[in-house]
Amino acid sequence: MTNHWIDLANSDCILAMGSNPVKNHPISFKWMTKAIDRGATLISVDPRFTRTSGKAHIYAPLRSGTDIAFLGGMIKYIIDNNLFFEEYVKEYTNASFLVNPDFKLPADNEGVFSGLTGIKTNEGILDGKYDKSTWAFQKGDNGTPKKDPTLADPNCVFQLLKKHFSRYTPDLVSQITGTPEDNLLQVYKAYGKTGKANKAGTIMYAMGWTQHTVGTQNIRTMAIIQLLLGNMGMAGGGVNALRGESNVQGSTDHALLFHILPGYLKTPKASQQNYQDYIAAVTPRSGDAISANWWQNYPKYSASLLKEFYGKDVSLDDAYHYFPKIDDTENYSWLTIFDQLYHNKFSGLLSWGQNPACSGANANKTRKALTNLDWLVNVNLFDNETGSFWKGPGMDPEKIKTEVFMLPCAASFEKEGSITNSGRWMQWRYKATEPSGQSRPDGDIICDLFNRLRHLYQTNEGAFAAPILKLKWHYGPKDRKGNIKHMDPHMVAREINGYFLEDKIIKGKLYNKGTLVPSFAYLQDDGSTSSGNWLYCNSYTKEGNMAARKIKADPSGIGLYSGWAWCWPVNRRILYNRASVDKIGKPWAPEKPVIEWHRNVWRGDVPDGGWPPLSKGTKSRYPFIMLPEGHAHIFGSGCTDGPFPEHYEPLESPLKSHPLSPQFVNPAVKRWDRDGQEGQMNARATNDPRFPIVCTTYRLGEHWQTGIMTRWQPWLAELEPGMFVEISDVLAKELGIKKGEMVIVESARGALEAVAIVTIRWQPFNVMGKTIHQVGIPWHYGWATTAERSYHATDKKPEVFTFGDSANLVTPNIGDANTMIPESKCFMVNVRKK
Amino acid sequence: MNNMAIFIDISKCTACRACQVACKNWNQLKAEQTENRGSHENPPDLSAHTWNRIRWVEELKNRKISWSFFNDRCRHCDPPDCKDAADEFVKGAIIKDKTGAVIFTEKIKAIDPDEILSACPYDIPRYDPETRMIYKCNFCFDRINAGLTPACVKACSTGALQFGDKTKMLHLAHDRISQLGKNATLYPGEDYNIFWALPDKALLKHIG
Repeated sequence: MTNHWIDLANSDCILAMGSNPVKNHPISFKWMTKAIDRGATLISVDPRFTRTSGKAHIYAPLRSGTDIAFLGGMIKYIIDNNLFFEEYVKEYTNASFLVNPDFKLPADNEGVFSGLTGIKTNEGILDGKYDKSTWAFQKGDNGTPKKDPTLADPNCVFQLLKKHFSRYTPDLVSQITGTPEDNLLQVYKAYGKTGKANKAGTIMYAMGWTQHTVGTQNIRTMAIIQLLLGNMGMAGGGVNALRGESNVQGSTDHALLFHILPGYLKTPKASQQNYQDYIAAVTPRSGDAISANWWQNYPKYSASLLKEFYGKDVSLDDAYHYFPKIDDTENYSWLTIFDQLYHNKFSGLLSWGQNPACSGANANKTRKALTNLDWLVNVNLFDNETGSFWKGPGMDPEKIKTEVFMLPCAASFEKEGSITNSGRWMQWRYKATEPSGQSRPDGDIICDLFNRLRHLYQTNEGAFAAPILKLKWHYGPKDRKGNIKHMDPHMVAREINGYFLEDKIIKGKLYNKGTLVPSFAYLQDDGSTSSGNWLYCNSYTKEGNMAARKIKADPSGIGLYSGWAWCWPVNRRILYNRASVDKIGKPWAPEKPVIEWHRNVWRGDVPDGGWPPLSKGTKSRYPFIMLPEGHAHIFGSGCTDGPFPEHYEPLESPLKSHPLSPQFVNPAVKRWDRDGQEGQMNARATNDPRFPIVCTTYRLGEHWQTGIMTRWQPWLAELEPGMFVEISDVLAKELGIKKGEMVIVESARGALEAVAIVTIRWQPFNVMGKTIHQVGIPWHYGWATTAERSYHATDKKPEVFTFGDSANLVTPNIGDANTMIPESKCFMVNVRKK
Repeated sequence: MNNMAIFIDISKCTACRACQVACKNWNQLKAEQTENRGSHENPPDLSAHTWNRIRWVEELKNRKISWSFFNDRCRHCDPPDCKDAADEFVKGAIIKDKTGAVIFTEKIKAIDPDEILSACPYDIPRYDPETRMIYKCNFCFDRINAGLTPACVKACSTGALQFGDKTKMLHLAHDRISQLGKNATLYPGEDYNIFWALPDKALLKHIG
C-alpha cells in the first residue's frame, strides 16, 4: 500500500477490483464504512457478485483477464471528458516528456510495441524479448528529457497515451469484458469524479490483479489512472495492494523473492563480478538539479547491507564477492524451481512455512516433482500435503525414495518479533505462550542450521567456505564455541536498523562507534555503517523499538496515528505525499491535508524529503523522488512487456482471436506449453471445445492459504467443509446440474471433485457476440484432512473432516511477464456431473 | 445491572461468521461434521452445539442481486413464552434475569422437552437426548454480569452487532431504520432483548 488501512476512511471513491475486501480483508470494511458514511462511493468490479459487491453502490461484472481493457476504457473516458487533473499531470508526471520518434504503439506495429523479437506463430510472437531502445525519452543538452509543457507534441507521453487508448471505445471494451456498456460508463463516471483537485479515489486490489500473465500491467493501468486523476500522495488515494498474508509486506521488504536483496536492492548478476561493476550498473544518474533521484544513494545502502552480513573487518569488495550471484538470463521463481525439480536438477528441498503440493499452480506437476527429491525438510506448524506427499493420491510409497524430516515450528503467538502489514506498518508482537511440544521458533531452527553448516565447513574442506565462515551472524547470545544459543529478535531488529561501525562526524555531529544509526540519511557508502535493510533504518534507534510504540493520539486529524507502531520509510504514512500539495506547498485537499508548507517548515506526515516546495526553485525537489527524473511514470520503460499496458488474452481464452490485435497472448511471457517433453504436464487448452468455461480461483474468509492453519480447526472446518464450484443458474440449467450435486471440474492439466453451488451471483457474459460462462473455485483444500484418505495409526485425524483437494490441480503453468506469478485467476475448464 | 439488548443491523453484516465461531469458543460448543450442501450456510440448523447461525438470503430484485445475512438465535422475548410454559411444570426452570437474558437451568430436565420446544414461536431451542438439556443462546449472561459484552458482539468488526442498555439500543435501531428508508423495519419488535433492523420488510418472509 502507498497509503494504509485507516486511510481508506478518507477516500471519496473506493474501487475494489481484483479483490474482495469485505470478505477477505474484513477489518478494512470498518474503514470503508467510515468513508461511505461520509458520502464516499464504493465500486465493486468482479467476475462474480461478491460480499464486496453486496455492499457496493455500483457493481460491474467483467470476464476474468480483461481488466486492462476495462481500465483502458476508463483512461480514454478520463481524457475524452477532460476529467484529468491538468496541473498535477503537467507538473508531477512525465506526460509532457517527448518520446523517441521511432517508438511504435501496438496499433501501428502488429499488436506489439516496437523492439520485439521472438518466435513468430499464427497467434503472434511467443517467448518475445523487447529491445527497449525506442522506449526512451528525447534528451536535451544536460541529459534531461525534452518536454512540451502544452502536451500538444504528437511524440509527448500524453498524446501517445491518448492515441494508444483511443482504441478502447466503450463498445469494444464492453465486447471484450462482457460488462454491459451502461454499467461501464457508470463506473467511469463515478471514479472520474476524483480528478477534482480536492477529491481522492483509491484502489483496493489483491491477487485478482496480480495472478495473470498481464498482472503487472493490470496495476500499471491503474497507476496511470491514479496519476491522471491526481490521486497519488493524497489522503484517501494511492495504489493499495491488499496483502494475502499478515506479513507478506515484511517478507517482501526483507527479500523473500529471488531477484531482490533486503530493501529492494538488486540481486547481483554473474556478469557483475566486482562491487564497482555492480554499483555502476544499479545506481541511476540524473542531470536535473531539481530531481532528488533518491536511488543515487544506492551505494550507501548496498555497502551497509554487506557490512551487516560480514562485519567491519571484511572489505566491501570481499563481502560482495561472497554474495551469491544469479545467472544473467536465469529466473529462479516458483514455476522455474518446480520445473527444475521435475527435471531432476536438484535433490534436496527446505520447504519452510509453506505447502507447495497445494499452494503452487499446476499442483500435479509439483507433486510429481517432489518424488525426485532425495530429502525434504518440512518446517511447519502441522504436517501437510507437502510433507506427506509420498502417501497422497496416486502415489506409491514403495517407489518413492525421498527421506522427509518434519521440524515443527512455533506459531506467531509462541514467539516474539515483528510483522509488517499491508500499510507498511512494522508492528511488534509479544510472545503470548511457550511453543507447544517440540516446536521451536523458526529463528532458532535457522541458527542451528547455520551452526551445523559452519561446523561442517570448519572441519571438512568445503568449496568456497568463506561466505559461510566469515558471516557475522550477530543474532543472539553465543556459547563458548561461538554458536548462537537462541535467536534474540531484538538483536535481529537492531541489526536490521544498523550501527555505526566507527566514530563518524556527520553534519558537524559525532556519532559513536557501536551506536544505532538514527535513519537511512546517515548510512555511508564507505563501509563505516551497517544496516540489514535501509528501508527499516530508523525502526530501532536509541529511543528504542519504534515498532512497539502504542501511542493512540492522532494530531494529524486524518488517521495517520504516527505514534502507533512504525512505518517504512522513516515513519512516512502516505508515500509520494509531496504530490498532495501544489507548487507553493498548499494541500490540494485542504480539509484532509497530508502535509502543508507552513512558516517555512512542513507539517503533517513525514514529507517525502524535507526540501521546500517547488516554488522555491533549485532548493526544491520534484515529488516522485524515487525516479531519476522525479516525475511519475505514465510512460515507463521498467516493465518487460511494454511502456504502456495493452490488453492481451489470458494463456487460456474462450476466444478464437484477439478482438483488437493480431497478438493473442502477452508476447513477453515465458511459455512452458511449447516444451513437448512433459505431455499433459504443462498443457494448454485455449478456444478448445473440450474446455469451454472460464474458471477463476478465490479465497474464503473461513480458511487461510492452503488451509493448514484452518482445516485442522474444527470450528472453521464446519463452516466451509469442502471444495465447491460456484456456477450460474443459467449454466447449471444447461448442464442439468442441481444445487448440492457432486461435479467434476477439469482442465487440460487435471481434475477436481466439487459440490455445485448454483447461484445468481454468477451470470453469463456476452463476449464478442458469444455467451461465455465462468465458474469459480476456492483454493484452500487438500487431501490430508479428508475422510476418504487412508490414516495410519500414528496419523492425526481432524475432528471435522473437510472434503476435496487443491484448486491448483487445474490451474495453468504460466506466469506474469515481469514477476512470474502464476495465472491462477483465469483458465479454461469443463464442468460435468460426476 | 440494567435491562440490556443486542441490536443487529443486517445492512452491516457481511456473514464473516466471527460471531458464530466466538459463540462456540466462549461456550465451548463442539464442532459438527458438516458438508457443503450447495450453500455456504453451515451448520445446517441450530442445534445443541450451535446457538447462533447466519442464514443466507439471495434474491434477484429488479435485475439487481440482493444478498442479506440473518443472524438467527434466541430473541430473548420479554416476556418469554418458554418461561410461561416451563413455569406450569417447574418454577424457576427458565429464568428471565434483570439483564433481559432468558436462561434455561438444569431444572428444565424435569420437564417434557416438547412442552418447551413447542412454546417457542421462533423454533429456537434444541433438545439433546444425551444430556436431557435444552440449549440456546443464553445472552452470555456470565460475561454480561462480569462487565463484558457478549462474545458475538465482541467478535463483530463491522458494527452489525451492538450491545448496551436496551433504551439506547432501541434508539440506535430506530435511527438506523429511518436512515435505511421506508422499506426498513424493526424485527421482531420492542418487547425483546435482541432485535434486528431489516433494510427491507420483504426479508420477513425468509425469517419466518
